[in-house]
Amino acid sequence: MIADHIMFTGVNVLLAWSVYVILLSGSVSFANGAFMAIGGYGAGVLTTKFGLPLVAGIPIAALGTAAFGMIIGLPALRTRGIYLILVTTGIAFCVKNAIEAIPYVGGVRGMRGLVGAEPWHVWVVAGVVGLLLWLLSRTPLQRILDAVREDELVARSLGINTVYVKVIAFGTGAALAAVAGGLYAHYMYVINPEHFGILVSVYVVLYVILGGVNNLWGPPLGAAVMTLLPELIRGLQAWRPIVFGVVIVILLLVRPEGLLPFRSPTARAKEARRG
Amino acid sequence: MAETVLGFDGVSKRFGGIHALSALSFEVRAGEILGVIGPNGAGKSVMINVASGVYAADEGRIVHRGRDITRLNAHQRGRAGIARTFQNIRLFKRMTVLENVLVADKTHTVRPFGSLLSFGRRREEIAAALAELDRMRLADKADQLAGTLAYGDARRLEIARALAGKPSVLFLDEPAAGMNERETEELLADIRACRSRLDAIVVVEHDMALLRVLSDRLVAMNYGQLLAEGTPDIVLAHPEVVSAYLGTQDG
Ligand SMILES: Nc1ncnc2c1ncn2[C@@H]1O[C@H](COP(=O)(O)OP(=O)(O)O)[C@@H](O)[C@H]1O
Ligand SMILES: [Mg+2]
Repeated sequence: MIADHIMFTGVNVLLAWSVYVILLSGSVSFANGAFMAIGGYGAGVLTTKFGLPLVAGIPIAALGTAAFGMIIGLPALRTRGIYLILVTTGIAFCVKNAIEAIPYVGGVRGMRGLVGAEPWHVWVVAGVVGLLLWLLSRTPLQRILDAVREDELVARSLGINTVYVKVIAFGTGAALAAVAGGLYAHYMYVINPEHFGILVSVYVVLYVILGGVNNLWGPPLGAAVMTLLPELIRGLQAWRPIVFGVVIVILLLVRPEGLLPFRSPTARAKEARRG
Repeated sequence: MAETVLGFDGVSKRFGGIHALSALSFEVRAGEILGVIGPNGAGKSVMINVASGVYAADEGRIVHRGRDITRLNAHQRGRAGIARTFQNIRLFKRMTVLENVLVADKTHTVRPFGSLLSFGRRREEIAAALAELDRMRLADKADQLAGTLAYGDARRLEIARALAGKPSVLFLDEPAAGMNERETEELLADIRACRSRLDAIVVVEHDMALLRVLSDRLVAMNYGQLLAEGTPDIVLAHPEVVSAYLGTQDG
């Protein structure tokens, strides 16, 4: 049981960062549960049907998911706000229905025999992703993402190809969700399309909003709190959706920028003067 | 005669039934500060938006240093060296003053993901951005959030950000709007001080007195059309310009 909590918290931390990466460029995605599914099923096919080791299966599935994300993201990312929410939600439904209709991967009954992922694998991956995001937060690319998010029109006038930036961010987020899905699947032994329903996508976006999107620590904090909170308070598991709703509403009233609202600048004036 | 840096050639732009620009032709010459005057609604801001690629022209051509840029989109115009400010100041308010300038560095705007592979020039880039801020008297506010700046400072930061990409032509949309006399005087000096770093500056204003002292040449517009183009004395004495301005009190 403890292992389960460690595993699922890690998976949700990865998923939260997968949404965060997309939000960094000013887009929102309700399709990350679907990207998780493609990663889980894709890696599952590679390990169970082609006999590939997990360390090869997950990266290949992640690259494929990134490509898929970018192809559908290209038209979708020209839209904003409510339209992008609708488009990504649509993707989530389509992917789930498509998987249910494919006998090769088990249809509604699901896919079996997925093994090899341990909780510590997920936390090593999360550590690496966190380190990369922390390095990113000091680079010019972070500033460019911030600019695209704040004012796309101005960003374009400065010569930034905002569609390109958003598509790459979308693809990166899709790949991260796929990695989380691949690890999750190979921990579960058996997966079915219900594991990757639209609610998964919605929950992940809520983790991120709860934690805050102004820095990279908010999303994993939100994910950890919302994964563990219902488990810690005995008897609350069944009330999970309601706990979620209540916590979100209270938090948005008290801390509209999330649990960790601060933003660290990517550069400071004194750095120019240091010897 | 000085060479043409940027030319509008019969450019039209419609919004539904509104003819925001009608066959507008004028040129921006090398080294000059060109003033653009016209009453409210004349199409001055639309002209800047069409020049910078925010709106595509319906008809006509825009030529920059001999290259037809009519079909380029906004970020391609930015890379080609067309820079601008906005009539309603648009800063990245949640970023610092320094970051607003740093983000315009051409090395990174053109190759946004290149910065992941090269960490080398960080200190030089910050020093260059600080120098840019210093020219606009903002260096001491570098680490402040841009959203907390006073109005005049925000205007000058927008100009500093536009200059940080080392543009060829800079369009300023009513830079002195809302400024008092002393601030306007200082702004004039700041604009003059940066002219040698650009091929040309285009200043849109409806304050005639300001443009008379700042501009080498003037373009007067009304109803999206060119009324007159030439030296300030000639343009401001032009009968159609005079009547356009007599017609509207606030210009
Ligand atoms: N995006 C738009 N949609 C519709 N009409 C517009 C748009 N932008 C400008 N216009 C119209 O074009 C005309 C010129 O506007 P503008 O260029 O802003 O005038 P100004 O000379 O005061 O800057 C006005 O009639 C304005 O209402
Ligand atoms: Mg205007």
